[in-house]
Amino acid sequence: MGAKVPILPSAREPERRPKLLEREAPFGYLLVLPAVLYLAVFIAYPFLMSIYMSFTDAQAGNPKWEFIGTQNYSKVESYQVLANDFVLATLPDEAAAKRFAAARDSAKVTTEPAGSRFRAVLEAAGTRVPLLELGSEGDASYLGETVGKELSWKVEKRGGQYAVVAHAAEDAPVTFGPYNDKATLNRERRSDILVPAKTTVKTQGKGVMQDPNFRLAVKNTFKYTFGTEAIKLCLGIPCALILNRKFGGRRLLRGLLVIPWVIPIAISAQAWLWILDSTYSVINWCLVHWGILSPGNIINFRGDKNWAMLSVIAVNVWRGFPFTTIVILAGLTAIPDEILERARLDGANGLQRFAYVISPMVRPILMVSLLFSVIFSFTDFNTIWIITKGGPYDQTQVLSTYAYQLGVNAGYLARGAAISLFMFPIMAVMVFFMLQFLRREA
Amino acid sequence: MADVVLDRVEKRFGDVLAVAGIDLTIRDQEFLVLVGPSGCGKTTTLRMIAGLEEVTNGDIRIGGRSVTHLPPRGRDIAMVFQSYALYPHMTVARNMSFSLKLRRTPRAEIDRRVKEVAGILGLTEQLNRKPRQLSGGQRQRVAVGAALCRQAGVLLFDEPLSNLDAKLRVHMRTELKRLHLAIRSTMVYVTHDQVEAMTMGDRIVIMNGGVICQVGTPLEIYDKPASRFVAGFIGSPPMNFFEGEIAADEAGAAVLLGGGLQLPLPRPDLAERAGRKVWLGIRPEHISLTQAGRMTSEVSLHRVFRTAKVPSVIEVVEPLGHRVILTARSAAGPFQMETEIHAGVHGGERVELWFDMNRAYLFDRDTEAAI
Repeated sequence: MGAKVPILPSAREPERRPKLLEREAPFGYLLVLPAVLYLAVFIAYPFLMSIYMSFTDAQAGNPKWEFIGTQNYSKVESYQVLANDFVLATLPDEAAAKRFAAARDSAKVTTEPAGSRFRAVLEAAGTRVPLLELGSEGDASYLGETVGKELSWKVEKRGGQYAVVAHAAEDAPVTFGPYNDKATLNRERRSDILVPAKTTVKTQGKGVMQDPNFRLAVKNTFKYTFGTEAIKLCLGIPCALILNRKFGGRRLLRGLLVIPWVIPIAISAQAWLWILDSTYSVINWCLVHWGILSPGNIINFRGDKNWAMLSVIAVNVWRGFPFTTIVILAGLTAIPDEILERARLDGANGLQRFAYVISPMVRPILMVSLLFSVIFSFTDFNTIWIITKGGPYDQTQVLSTYAYQLGVNAGYLARGAAISLFMFPIMAVMVFFMLQFLRREA
Repeated sequence: MADVVLDRVEKRFGDVLAVAGIDLTIRDQEFLVLVGPSGCGKTTTLRMIAGLEEVTNGDIRIGGRSVTHLPPRGRDIAMVFQSYALYPHMTVARNMSFSLKLRRTPRAEIDRRVKEVAGILGLTEQLNRKPRQLSGGQRQRVAVGAALCRQAGVLLFDEPLSNLDAKLRVHMRTELKRLHLAIRSTMVYVTHDQVEAMTMGDRIVIMNGGVICQVGTPLEIYDKPASRFVAGFIGSPPMNFFEGEIAADEAGAAVLLGGGLQLPLPRPDLAERAGRKVWLGIRPEHISLTQAGRMTSEVSLHRVFRTAKVPSVIEVVEPLGHRVILTARSAAGPFQMETEIHAGVHGGERVELWFDMNRAYLFDRDTEAAI
């Protein structure tokens, strides 16, 4: 019983660390090092730097930066109330309302004191309508005249009754203010206008949120991104389906397809500049030549505010749809022939095969491509900068170009940084939803 | 009636003749197996029946109706693919009902059929799973189920078991056979595995190089192979072949093999063809260690007389379990034989082996046809 079980000598030896050269991990780290350095220097540092900068008053030529909190993002300096439609009278029948409206030309606006303030009163068709009550007589008189005499009056049916409305155009409202703080704004807003009116509050200030151009840039960025993506898909899916068929010259065509994608945008954009030139555009030349346009009516692709956005979208689509096509093509090639054959045996025609078999199977890879493509378009700077520089009148200004213009060209480094950082949360949300979708699919 | 008739059907891929004008009648409710080595044209033939390949020449009729130029969906067929071809984004139930949905079958009827087929195949629990959540065998059954739901007249199988592991394959073989007995539709089954062909087929079609070598029941094919190719293809281990020449001897006919080995033939009529160059074929199971062999009880005196003694050396012994395969060498060349595991033979041993000449085959050395 007491016999000892011999233990193999190797089983008792403590595990020694292998020599440095024998181990794989250090070599792996060494290989990764350049990439890590690159990410740190060219991605992480600028990103952190711009976050820091966006909280300072950094300006080009100003060596001292001071911390100013979130003022670059949002800093309200004053408020204004914009009013559009003033309801002067509400009458039960249409004829009376029309009679009232017709009295506009003979109407009078008078100003009278009301306590410490001044009240503008409209007299028309034998009725006195108190319009406004303001702190100074001049303001009351001026704004009263504006509402009573300069706006056009019209009759609108409102809830069974007829209202006579003094109407101001959307882009030319009657402005009250400015007021320096929110409390004043709220008080004045309630007491200034004595008739029902459609009012909005406009904030003014140096923060990016108060900048109307910034809002335009956000709108344009979305227009540009989703316009581009929609067209890319509409072009990419049919192209991929065609290239997935077997025909002579397919390989050549696949090769040609990627050309727009591999040519540097700085070079291809030069060609587009000529194509979209205001005088020598080849598109205009063709249209005139075919008799579709008269020579006096040629399209100014880059200068016309209706065409500029379309032009930059067209250039981005031209550049980006090969990528979409190739990704979809990869998805199509990954579908086994047997599945498509089975679909044929199951009785699916071409359209049904596409709808029930091909597109659900391509969808996950399509989402990945869309994800890349959306990020690419959302942050695209080159295309717009080369073609329109954000113009005309900021109609093609997107976040990236606006950040550049404000931050680099105009020297407001901090505000430029703030604008570019706005892209981050928007994209994070989009990426989150797309990844969520992908995970559900898988 | 869902009989399938192939009338001089030919298929060319460019210059390559894949199927060289075959005639074949597949009877209604028959389980027919197309078997042959890869590239023999069996799959192409099946795909032509399915309508997945255009027919270059000839005519295909299903149930008396020519379908040669009909698209697959107009042919009253369903097919099970080698890779199962399940739609990965659909549940098992939707995979099975897809073809019915496309045909606008009423919902209640679809549900009824899916339930019924799932019941037959034991898939009721899996109906709401996606294919990737299933095992190989279950996927296989879903593929079969999808074909069954169609209730097509003809079911086509393209090597459906080749992606399964050996054990499951044996099991599914039996299952498919049972299924055929239960639903009785015409089934055409392509395989390269001769065991599958022998075990499953009512009839077997052996193809090679785009032509049909032989059509027959498993027993016919085994007992009366029409050519050296068929003889060598069916049977495991395969039949042994020796080069030889027909000779006449005092008892009638004999075959003269290499090394001066002369074996008597039980067919005296062959004496007239003396000098003819032939292949002598004999199956491993028809060679024994004793003169009477293992067939003592059933052989007649005549047959015992027609065994032939072949002195040999045992080279390799491969026990399989109940049987053992011996690789031996005689003066005429190497060969394999099969015997009982307890035979007690060892490698290197010199033995006298007995060839059952009643079960030996002769094939012409030029035409390879059976004599």
